[in-house]
Amino acid sequence: MESSPYQTKQRLIALICISTFVFFILFARLFTLQIISGQSLQAKAVDQWTRDLPIIPKRGDILDTNGNVLASSETAYTVYVRAKSVTDAEFVAKNLSSLLQLDYEGVYDKVSNKGVSEVTLKRQVDAEVVDKIRNFNFNGVYVASEPSRVYTYGNFLSQVLGYVSVDNVGQSGIEAYYDKYLKGIKGQILTQSDLVGVELKDKETLFQPGIDGLDVVLTIDSVIQSVVENVMQLIMRMHNPKSAKAIVMDVETGEILAMGITPGLDLNNLPRDDMQTLLDYGRNTLLTDIYEPGSTFKIVTAAADLQEYKNGNSKAFSDKHVFGSSNYRIIDGSKISCWTSHNNGRHSNQTLSDALNNSCNPIFTDIALSLGKSTFYKYLDLFGLGKTTGIDFSGEQSGILVPQTSVTNGDLARIGFGQSIAVTPLQLISAVCCAVNGGLLMQPYLVKEIKSKDTLAARFTPTVRNRAISAEVSAQLALMLEGVVSGGSGKHAYIEGYRVGGKTGTAQKFENGKIAEGKYVSSFVGFFPANKPKYAAIVIVDEPVGQHYGSAVAAPYAKIIFEQIINYKNIKPYV
Amino acid sequence: MDLKTNRQKSEKVGVDWLLLSAVAALVIIGLVFVYSASMYSAQKDFGNKYYFLTKQLVGALVGVVALAAMIFIPLDKAKKFALPMYIISLILLALVFVPGIGIENYGAKRWIGTGGFSVQPSEIAKFAFVLLAAKYMSDNSDKMKKFRGLLTVALMGVAICILVILEPNMSITMCVALVMLAMLFIGGVKIKHLALCILPLVVLVPVLIAIEPYRLARLMAYLDPWASPKGEGYQLIQSFYALGSGGWFGVGLFNSRQKFDFLPFAESDFIFAVIGEEIGFIGSVLVLGLFILLIYCGIKIAKKAVSRFECYLAAGISCVIAIQTLLNIAVVTGTIPPTGLPLPFISSGGSSLVVFMASVGILLNIDRNSRKQNRLAV
Repeated sequence: MESSPYQTKQRLIALICISTFVFFILFARLFTLQIISGQSLQAKAVDQWTRDLPIIPKRGDILDTNGNVLASSETAYTVYVRAKSVTDAEFVAKNLSSLLQLDYEGVYDKVSNKGVSEVTLKRQVDAEVVDKIRNFNFNGVYVASEPSRVYTYGNFLSQVLGYVSVDNVGQSGIEAYYDKYLKGIKGQILTQSDLVGVELKDKETLFQPGIDGLDVVLTIDSVIQSVVENVMQLIMRMHNPKSAKAIVMDVETGEILAMGITPGLDLNNLPRDDMQTLLDYGRNTLLTDIYEPGSTFKIVTAAADLQEYKNGNSKAFSDKHVFGSSNYRIIDGSKISCWTSHNNGRHSNQTLSDALNNSCNPIFTDIALSLGKSTFYKYLDLFGLGKTTGIDFSGEQSGILVPQTSVTNGDLARIGFGQSIAVTPLQLISAVCCAVNGGLLMQPYLVKEIKSKDTLAARFTPTVRNRAISAEVSAQLALMLEGVVSGGSGKHAYIEGYRVGGKTGTAQKFENGKIAEGKYVSSFVGFFPANKPKYAAIVIVDEPVGQHYGSAVAAPYAKIIFEQIINYKNIKPYV
Repeated sequence: MDLKTNRQKSEKVGVDWLLLSAVAALVIIGLVFVYSASMYSAQKDFGNKYYFLTKQLVGALVGVVALAAMIFIPLDKAKKFALPMYIISLILLALVFVPGIGIENYGAKRWIGTGGFSVQPSEIAKFAFVLLAAKYMSDNSDKMKKFRGLLTVALMGVAICILVILEPNMSITMCVALVMLAMLFIGGVKIKHLALCILPLVVLVPVLIAIEPYRLARLMAYLDPWASPKGEGYQLIQSFYALGSGGWFGVGLFNSRQKFDFLPFAESDFIFAVIGEEIGFIGSVLVLGLFILLIYCGIKIAKKAVSRFECYLAAGISCVIAIQTLLNIAVVTGTIPPTGLPLPFISSGGSSLVVFMASVGILLNIDRNSRKQNRLAV
C-alpha cells in the first residue's frame, strides 16, 4: 500500500466492530422475539393455524313420568362447500345438483365462487343422500350433522315443554329452565389449515368428543295430559271462551300431572317470526298470569276458620255455628251481597258446610272480618298466597295481595270470598291441595329426574314448604268440600261411587279498573277421593260465551277429567 | 529441495478455506430453506413443490461456475473495465423503465428480462459501484482527503440511488447509500466530510416518505404492527409469529407452519423468519454466525490485499454482504421498517445468488494475490 495503510487498517477494523455490534443488537432482538415473547407469539399463531369445527352434542330428550318421549333430537345434515378446495366445479355441481335436487346453475355458482370461504348448499338433508355424497369423496364438499328438535305430539303440553331456537338453545318452558342439562357439552374437531382455510392433509387433526345432553323426566303423565288437552278442546267447542286451561296435581306430593292450555302452539311448526303469537300462546299462563279466583278461594277462608276454632280462638266460628241469614253485609258503608237473593228461605240458617255448599258470600265476609287481618293474613301466607310457589319453571308470578298494612275492612271482607285478590291458577290449586292433604303446603314441581341413558343424575322428591293447618282440620274440610260436590254448587262434578270434593268459582273480570260487563272467569277446583285425596284438578274457563257459572262451565269438565283418571288408574269405586 | 518446495507452492497457492466453507454452508442452507419455505406454495401455485428449489439449484450451479471464474480473472484487467461496467449497469437500471423489457411486480419495476429469465439490475449495480469507487479511490487516494474526491465517489453512488428510487426500491437505495458511505469511510475521507455527506440523506428520508404515502403506512406498521394486524402490520406480525414459534430450538426442519401462506415472501425476503421458526434461536444465531465469519474473512482479505484497489474492492464486497444481511435481518425482526431485500446467499432468487457468489470469487481472487505475494516475500 502506497500511503497511510495504518489508517485504512484502522477503518477496516472499525467496520468489523460496527457490523459486529449491529449483529449483536439483532441477536438481542431475536432473543426478545424468540425466547422472551416466544410463547405468547406462538399462542397467537396457533389460533390462525387451526380451524375448528364444533361437534354439536345430542340434546337430551324430555320424557313423561312413564318414560314416553315428548321431545327428542334427530340428526339432520347440512351440505356445504368451500369453493377454494373444489377441484372440478362442473363435476361437483352436476352430481350435487341431482343428488340434492337443486338447480345446476345455482350449485355451480356456489362451488365455483372462490371469493367466499364457505357456502351452505342445503340443510335438512337425509342420511341416505348424505351417504351417496360421501361416496363421491368430492374435494371441498362437506357434510355437517346438526340435531333438530322434534316434539312427538306437536301441539301437546306446548307451554310446559317450551321450544328451542334454531341453534337448539332453550327459549321457553322446560327447554329453557333445564337447558343447561339438556344441551350437553360441545366437542370440536381442530384441523390444521393454511391461510385461507384449506385443510392440510398430512397434519394431525385433534378430535375432542362432545358429551350428549341429559334427559329430563317430567312428573307429567301423558295419558292424563291428553285427557286434559281433549277436555280443553271440548270446552273451547262448547263455550267458545278465549281460553280454557287446567292443572292436574298430585295432592300429596305436589307433582304436576298435567298442565293444559288451549289454544297452544304446534312446537314442530312454530311461527318464529311472530313474536306476539309466540308470547300469547307459548306462555304458561297457569303460572305467569293471574286472575281473581272468586268462590274457589272460600276453601282457604274456611280452613282458616276451622283451624282457629280448633286452636281456641274465640273469634273463630264452630262448624256448628249458624250464621245470620241476610243476603248482604254493610261494611264501612258499602254493601256486599250474596250472588243470589235469600228469599223463600234460601241460604237461611247456614252452618259453614251449608255456606260452602251454597257459596254464600256474606258468611265468608263474617269469617274474614271476625278473624281480623293479622290472623287472616297469617293463613294467606301459610297457604302460599302473595308469593311464588317455587315451581321449577321461569316466569312465575306471585299474584296480587293488598299489603297487610294498608288492607281495609272492605278489602278483607272481599278477600274472604275470593275478590280483591289475584292469584295464579297454580297458587290456588297448591293452596287447595294443602287444605285437603293433611295440611301441608307442597312445592309443586314438573321434573322428577334428570338422567343420562343409563345413569340417574338427579332425582327430585316432594318438598314440604310449610304446614298450614292440622291433619284433623284438613280431613274435616275435605269432607265439607265433598258435600259441595255431592249436594251443593259443585254437583256437576259428582261421580257416582267416588268421593269427589271441590268448589266452583265465578269471578267478574276487571278491565281498566272497572268491572267488565259479561266477562267472567269460571272455574272449578276439585279433588278425589275425599277421604284420602290423591288427585286435584283446577279448570279455568276464560270468558265463556253464554253460560258463565263455574258450576256449569267448569265443574262438568273436571268431572270428565276425574272419570278418565279413574278409568286409566283403574280406581275402584267407594263402597 | 528448496526449489521443489517453491514449485509446489507456486502450483498450490491455496484458497481461504474458511471463507469458502462459510459461503458453501450458506448456499446449502439457502437451498434447504428455499425448498422448505416454498414447498407448499410451489405445489399450490405451480403444481411442483420443487419449483423454487430447482431454480435456486440452477442459480447455485451457475454461481459455482461464476465463483470459480472470478478467482482466476486478472484483476488489473477488471479494473480497466470498471467504468464501462458502471455505465452498463446504469443503462440496465434505466432499461427497467422500458416497456417490454422491464417487468413490473407488486407495483415496482425492478426486473428486466423475458420469459423465465429475469435479473434485477440493481444487484449488479451495487457491485459495479463498488468496483468503480475502488478504482477511483485507489487512483486518486490523494484527493480523498479533499471534498472533491468525496463528491466524485458520492455522485457515482447517488446516480445509482436515483435510478433505484425511481423503480421504486427503497431498500436497495438504502443499501447502496450505506455501501457508498462505507466505501468513503474506507477510502480515508475525513470524518467531518462524511458527516456533511450524511446530512442530506437525513433530510432526504422524510421527503421520500412524503412522495410515496405507502412508506408512511409501512413506517407506522413498523412502529405498531398490532394496530393493523390485517393491513400494513400483517407481514411483520406473521414474521414475529414465525420467529416466536421457533423458541430456543425451533419446530424442526420442514415443520414451519407459517409457510402455509401465512407469511408472505417466505422463500425470499422473509426466509430468515422460516429459519428462525424451524431451527429456533440457536439455529438463527448459528446462521448469522456464518455471515459474521464471512464478513470477517472478507475484511481480513482486504487488510492483506496487495494493492489499494484490491483492498477497497474486498472491503466494498464485504460491506455489500454485511449491509444487505443486516438490513434483511433488521426488517425480519421488526428492528427497522419493512422493506423488500433478499438475504444474501439464502433467499430464493437465482440472479442475486450468482452475483453474490461471483463477488465471493473476487474476494478469493484478491486473497490469492496476497498469498502469492507472501510466498514471493518468503
